[in-house]
Amino acid sequence: MSTEFLFLQLLQNESGTILYQGIVSTLQLTLLAGCLAFSIGAILATIRAAGQPITVRFVAGYVAYHRNVPLLVQILFWYFGITALLPAPVQSWLNQHGGAFLSGAVAIGLCMAAYVSEDLRSGMRAISTGQLQAARALGLSFIQAMCYVIIPQALRHAIPSLVNEMLLLLKNTSLLMAIGVAELTYATRQIEGQTFRTFEIFAIATLCYLTMSFCIMFSGRALERHFKMARR
Amino acid sequence: MYNIKKYSLAIVAATGIFATQAVFADQLDDVKKRGTLICGTLGTSEPFSFADQATREIKGYDVDFCKAIADSLGVKTELKLLAVEARIPELSQGRVDIVIANLGYTPQRAEQIDYSHQYFVSQQKIMTRTADGYKSINDLGGKQVSAPKGSTSETAVIKKVPTAKVVTFQDPPTAFMALVQNKVEAFALSELTLIKFKDQVADKVKMTILPESMMAEAWGVGVKKGEVSMLKAVNEKLSAMEKNGDATNIFKKWLGSDSPYKAPREFVIAPIQG
Repeated sequence: MSTEFLFLQLLQNESGTILYQGIVSTLQLTLLAGCLAFSIGAILATIRAAGQPITVRFVAGYVAYHRNVPLLVQILFWYFGITALLPAPVQSWLNQHGGAFLSGAVAIGLCMAAYVSEDLRSGMRAISTGQLQAARALGLSFIQAMCYVIIPQALRHAIPSLVNEMLLLLKNTSLLMAIGVAELTYATRQIEGQTFRTFEIFAIATLCYLTMSFCIMFSGRALERHFKMARR
Repeated sequence: MYNIKKYSLAIVAATGIFATQAVFADQLDDVKKRGTLICGTLGTSEPFSFADQATREIKGYDVDFCKAIADSLGVKTELKLLAVEARIPELSQGRVDIVIANLGYTPQRAEQIDYSHQYFVSQQKIMTRTADGYKSINDLGGKQVSAPKGSTSETAVIKKVPTAKVVTFQDPPTAFMALVQNKVEAFALSELTLIKFKDQVADKVKMTILPESMMAEAWGVGVKKGEVSMLKAVNEKLSAMEKNGDATNIFKKWLGSDSPYKAPREFVIAPIQG
């Protein structure tokens, strides 16, 4: 009873507002970075499947960089490094329109794209090459064959690992605290600094993350059931 | 097991003896008899207490106050270097006579030790890019201000400029970087550290430190709790130094016009308002 009371009390006044804004920010980041990761990941996987030696090398290099450099380093590099190279008007526009948020989302999105492309690649390997050849023989172009025949099937195979990447992506948004993006973890630390109620606020943050993760997990399950393929 | 018991008994007995001695002996008399004042100082905090690169001698603003107080008692100065977290324990256990070591006043600390009059006041200020033309901290309403996470500076901005948006970073250099790269409009920190940062980039970006202080932290000389005569002697000396200009000269030498900091002296030696 008393702890319940404390938890509720903590969420009143400005702490509640800070936390709410943190949750909204985390969701926005997850959505934005997720869209980036999936679209770029699909493009990368397609390029790799096309099999041109130079582009395959490029994709392999892209994946190697994003998987082997710590994400925190990539985030700091985007925020303090790459944005500093942009022309001054672009920089000042960015700084006035949440540059930390955007560069953070881009850093996470590009990094997770590497993982998504690998997931899709392994999904494609589950589909026999005969299907691509058959699609081409029926007169579809390579892109058409990929979009209508291969990728939809590859996606089904890849759903479990894609859900995994989505969960990772959600948790990785907490790293953006380092560049001052007021997402959920930043908000938690801020409330902790103001109230010194460490246990309560971290317990609340844990619950929030768990709720979001479970939503992703359950939608993943539902997708899997929906697309369940007939056993071969 | 038996040994442990024996030792702990001995320790208890010894503590008892020391405790009784402390009640009767007056620390000030001890210092005069011994002929040296053991002064605890940091040794790692330029320009307050740091090693001279050529002579390895410890010098600085805090050290000059150690020497002045020892002189007034007619004894020699013995400096003892302390870690930040050891300042209060070493003083409470009587291993140093006084502590002059960046010791900011807090009510919690004042329960464990006695504070002399303030001999320095550290100011929390705000730095902006000169080109932006900010003149006062009140111009920063609605603007982004960077500060280290969980620091006094963060609290100070929230209190003094509540409409500003504080963005916190892991450490001071990162928060400063955000200002240099135009990612925020202002950066809050203690004045002396701000001056250091300002000089580091002086040839690339011109920075201005806004004159108003957001919060002041009074530093005092730490004296062991209950050593009334020692505290009185220290306070008398500090007040005398304020009157005859010695304190101003020490400030000028290490922090003011004769130093690289060129900081203004915006306080006088006086009892700390707790």
